[in-house]
Amino acid sequence: MKLTRCDQLFLFAPLAILLGGWLVVPALLGLGATLTTYSPLTTTFKFAGWANYSAVIHDPEFGEAVRNVVLFTVIAVPLELAIGFGIAYLLRPPFRGRSWWRALMLLPWLVSPIASGVMWHFLFGSATGVIDFVFGWFGGNQAASPIGDLRLALPTLIAVEVWRVAPFVTFLLVPGLAAVPEERWEQATLAGASTFGRITRVALPAAKPLLLTVGMLLTGLSLGAFDTILILTGGGPGTATLTPALYSYERAFETNDWPIGAASAWLIAAGVIGVGAVYLRLSTRRSAS
Amino acid sequence: MSRRRDTAVRILLLSAITAAFLVPLLWTGLASLGVLPDNNSRPPSWTGPATLQHFSEIGGAEPAFWQELATSTTSALGAALITVTVSFLAAFGLARARLPGDRSLTQVFLVLASLPAMAYVLPLSDLIRRLHLLDSFATIVLAEAAVTAPLAVFVLHGAIVQLPTEWEEAAVLDGAGLLRVLARVVLPLIAPSVAATAIVVFVLDWNMLLVPLVLTSGEVKTVPVAMSDFFTFERELEWPTAAAALMVSLVPLAVLVALFHRVLERFTLQAPAGGDIG
Repeated sequence: MKLTRCDQLFLFAPLAILLGGWLVVPALLGLGATLTTYSPLTTTFKFAGWANYSAVIHDPEFGEAVRNVVLFTVIAVPLELAIGFGIAYLLRPPFRGRSWWRALMLLPWLVSPIASGVMWHFLFGSATGVIDFVFGWFGGNQAASPIGDLRLALPTLIAVEVWRVAPFVTFLLVPGLAAVPEERWEQATLAGASTFGRITRVALPAAKPLLLTVGMLLTGLSLGAFDTILILTGGGPGTATLTPALYSYERAFETNDWPIGAASAWLIAAGVIGVGAVYLRLSTRRSAS
Repeated sequence: MSRRRDTAVRILLLSAITAAFLVPLLWTGLASLGVLPDNNSRPPSWTGPATLQHFSEIGGAEPAFWQELATSTTSALGAALITVTVSFLAAFGLARARLPGDRSLTQVFLVLASLPAMAYVLPLSDLIRRLHLLDSFATIVLAEAAVTAPLAVFVLHGAIVQLPTEWEEAAVLDGAGLLRVLARVVLPLIAPSVAATAIVVFVLDWNMLLVPLVLTSGEVKTVPVAMSDFFTFERELEWPTAAAALMVSLVPLAVLVALFHRVLERFTLQAPAGGDIG
């Protein structure tokens, strides 16, 4: 239908007010404030130029945080996509109870990131944990929790995140694979394609746009990794699992260094927007062709 | 023949994977019932018997827990309702207004949805504090609604562009205005997508930590905020009690997903194929 100006106002104004008032305006005010010495605790502030950003970038701790989150993202996101895709592929063809199975498989994602942290804290603990239980069966000694280990902490957090997020990826990918016309699978089978061939020649091309979209969402969420890490390690041991989001939160609320916290938060936003720009190019180029 | 074997292999693999993913939750469920492993005995054994006592201990460890559960439920319900209503209107507008560059505009909403909360909550919390709106239930609901709105716009837009426009045109010829078209034609056609979006958004709101954390000073609390307190203030929790609290906060979502598992099939980020856009 043709929309009049009045119609358009009615349709777009609520979203504009919601996003503007609660997201865009505060974010932009905050961006302005990072160019000053502004802090909620002080009454006066003056223009500071790039000083806050320069302080963040030259802080070795922030460098550690960036290194950690980049590692976290480049390992966790492909793993989540691969495992999620694999399970979605198994769930694709209709069989009895499939939709139940898909709902069951979603359970880990229903656990909040914070609850996931609480749960794994205890599962890694030796008195109650699942790991020592299995070790015990093989006569092994009780192992210290891997989250306290300098080298194991980050890989462990990645595993915990993959456990929670891969099921969500499956949930998002199943409709994409189910939408592929049945003939395409049959043609591939008749042409003698193995399971591997059907994945690479039918499933992956069909799911490519969807994988791109899900990949964008996961990348953004990983770059902001916060909740589970706050509970499990708080960024430690040392700075082994510190992320920019934790860094920003600590500076703003714990060490009362608001300008540094706000500036580093904007650097997270800049990172995600940068990835988003690449995503926009890729997704619109696809639809143009 | 090979098809049947194929299905058998599939189900076997799926069972193994599902079991692996659910072991941690099973462990937690057992612990909430007081069934705990004894890792010091060889081989490890289980202690029991099962009891519901730990569920009543939650209130002792966190006196306001049931209040927090109510806050989580009502705020997530309110936020999901606002998100879906506002996003439905905007998604319809985007799908029908033929704005220049509207295809990349919808993708911009996905990028917005990917923005981690930490990127913008600091100035939001400062602004809210200055406006003396901290610890307000409405503040939390509106902020949560804003966080999830971009994702809902993206999903609902994908559902609406796939609708044929003939019914809408017919309704307009019959003299229907915008509201009537939306309520009588569009909404009934995409009701399953709207319901699925509402459920996913509800789950996201229910599990949200940072937004309610920085917009409150302790008077209004949701379950995730309460859980984060326990660890940041080093109040030690007993595992069975923690497990019981985890189960209480998970079961409502699990029931919701189980009840609506068919409707949830309609939640998709799939952009419609190029040719479908008229």
